[in-house]
Amino acid sequence: MFELPLMIIAQFTVPQDLGTNPKSLLLVLPLLVAISVVYKATKVEKVSAGNFIKESVLLFGSILVFLIITALVLAAVAWLIVG
Amino acid sequence: MTYNRASQQNPWPLMFLVALTGWILPGGGYLVLKEISRGVIIFITIAVIFIAGLYIGSIGVVDPAGARLWYIVQMATSPFVAIIGYYTQGGGFPAYGRPNEMGQIYTSTAGLLNLLCIVNAVYMSYLRKTQTEEN
Repeated sequence: MFELPLMIIAQFTVPQDLGTNPKSLLLVLPLLVAISVVYKATKVEKVSAGNFIKESVLLFGSILVFLIITALVLAAVAWLIVG
Repeated sequence: MTYNRASQQNPWPLMFLVALTGWILPGGGYLVLKEISRGVIIFITIAVIFIAGLYIGSIGVVDPAGARLWYIVQMATSPFVAIIGYYTQGGGFPAYGRPNEMGQIYTSTAGLLNLLCIVNAVYMSYLRKTQTEEN
């Protein structure tokens, strides 16, 4: 009866195996979603589904584009220095 | 300076209540202000991101002894984080490397987002109080 809850709790006592591959960069996406949603939830005048989702998606996209541009610039600088 | 009867109402109790509720339950400050959908969205988002952080790095990412600064920020999520800290302070749930880093970033981001929400809800309560007084 308590096996399922105990199994779920046990998952939180051992770290997950993330590795250091490029795929692990995708872990930034849930954070971006959370930041966009919470920030827009505090900023929009009235929380209506259409407007709120549109505003959140716009902010998510803006931050993502900025992150990609920053990553590209840093990669270019590193490539210029290291060769 | 002129005073009317309404302006003598003290806004601080409501602001304190909003701040306290927002700290105990993420998004709770908005629930006090009857902003139900706003509060629910914030609660779900912050709870999911905090639990995801615990899942990635284990509850060992909440470490009041070894990572005090992270712990202070994590505590902004809710005072209930202290319960996790109580169980992990002995070092019984070690977390190292990238899972630890990611777990700390996730849980601390949840804390900082909740801090933002608390400040915003308190400001909203202050505005409402003063606007009510002006009308």
